[in-house]
Amino acid sequence: MKFHKVDVEERRELGSYTLIRYRWRGPVEPGQFVMARAAGYPVTLDPFLARPFSYYDYDEGIASLLFEVRGRGTANLDLAHTIEVTAPLGVGFRIEPGAGRAALLGGGIGVVPLKILGRHLDAMNLPYDAFLGFADEDTSVVAGEFPDARVATMDGSAGTHGTVLDCISDLDDYGAVYACGPNPMLAAVKLAAGEGSFCQLSVEERMGCGNGSCNGCVVPTHNGGYVRSCVEGPVFPAEVLAW
Amino acid sequence: MVARQHVVDLAVDLCGIPLSTPLMPASGTLSREALGEVEGVYGAMLPKTTTPAARAGNPPPRVAETPAGMVNSIGLQNPGVDGFLQDLDAFDLRVPLFVSVAGDTVTEFAALCERLADDDRISGVELNLSCPNVECGGLMFCAGPASVDEVVAACCTALPNKPILAKLTNEGVVENARAAEAAGADGLTIINTIPALTIDATAKKVLVRGGLSGPAIKPVALRAVYDVSGVVSVPVVGSGGVVSGTDVAEFMLAGATAVQVGTSSFVRDPHEILDEFAAYLKENGLGAAQLTGVVRRTGTVATVPRP
Repeated sequence: MKFHKVDVEERRELGSYTLIRYRWRGPVEPGQFVMARAAGYPVTLDPFLARPFSYYDYDEGIASLLFEVRGRGTANLDLAHTIEVTAPLGVGFRIEPGAGRAALLGGGIGVVPLKILGRHLDAMNLPYDAFLGFADEDTSVVAGEFPDARVATMDGSAGTHGTVLDCISDLDDYGAVYACGPNPMLAAVKLAAGEGSFCQLSVEERMGCGNGSCNGCVVPTHNGGYVRSCVEGPVFPAEVLAW
Repeated sequence: MVARQHVVDLAVDLCGIPLSTPLMPASGTLSREALGEVEGVYGAMLPKTTTPAARAGNPPPRVAETPAGMVNSIGLQNPGVDGFLQDLDAFDLRVPLFVSVAGDTVTEFAALCERLADDDRISGVELNLSCPNVECGGLMFCAGPASVDEVVAACCTALPNKPILAKLTNEGVVENARAAEAAGADGLTIINTIPALTIDATAKKVLVRGGLSGPAIKPVALRAVYDVSGVVSVPVVGSGGVVSGTDVAEFMLAGATAVQVGTSSFVRDPHEILDEFAAYLKENGLGAAQLTGVVRRTGTVATVPRP
């Protein structure tokens, strides 16, 4: 896998999440992801693997990543002035212009790709509403970056008390559903959207390589097999997935 | 990708097959989608293991990072040999093509080898002997010399016209290597991943139980290559934690004729590894083929255990 060394142009904390920006000559499609790590081979041999991140935003040659520090890889990335990134990877959201008003649902760090998706929907003059679910108030700070979004928290410390689905009155009012979050949340969104709906889900899975080589990041499909979230996804039509 | 010109001689000969560089991908670490990234790096191609019937593979999680490495448990997900052969042209990078095979039984291994005998696209076969033998209670085919002998002999009979590499795990590697050579293997791939386990302490459950790869296993693999190449006369393909051009050189110095790049291709551009290796050769005024086993001739040879 080819990595490109880039400088972190800006680093900002959004509650418990970190936002970093770097220059990248586009294009980046909403829902695509990048493998990223702190620069400095051979120090980068441990931790060994780069980490996958959905793009948070891409605008005028600046790519933005938003992440939560969970382990050594993200901790190093959080401190790095120079990082190494791949080119954009994977299949992103398929935007269906004729589907009508869209619902964008994000759970926790899964809100990330909704920013760039909203930007594209805005550019296409397509109407949408955003619904964001978090564990608590601290993790919900990023919601401030999504004007007009409705917010739910599991502990009730901000917005509606409950899951992201609890702050939506009726998902049937929407012609398109785009969602990203933990897989159990996506399963619930798929169920709520119902069969035959236009529903696109961005999945989360542990990833090794990011380019389809290791077959590590698979998700189960309805026909009993597995598909790779890095190459065939990370965004899938809901009907493809087994859960 | 900018084509790089190497002034040094990178060519090696593996079982009578000329390779333009000593590098090849380790089985299961290079997808069709990533082939465009490796043009010009590898002297031979080696796609993911194929099995007689399609395999869905294991449920996720399948990979877990470990210190300087990763543990995987993919379960040989593959479309089966029919689908594999249909798609094989995609792996034509105008270099010799080796095919990694695995079966549940000796008969399946032999049948797969026979199936590949008349396919002109295929230069050689690698036997993935780290898969379970269902006729032996799920023990790996390379669990011991008797089992290695049986499967390698059957494959050599089924495929007399192409070189066969037996890929072995670290456990008992010297005895198994001897058995494979005696049974007719034309070469040995040393080593496969090392059995390993990761635990999710928060969830209090097993995360991934599978094989460890990456730089964490390099010293283990180097020792296996060194020990095995000292007791067999067939060529050894080194594999295990190769990340840099220096690593390639080390494996060859230890006795490898060719070297596989596996997990590290996830985190580095393999062109960089080849460039570093070429720089090493240039600095030392050597061609790649001259490196094999040099440490054995420098007077500092460590004792190789003999039974």
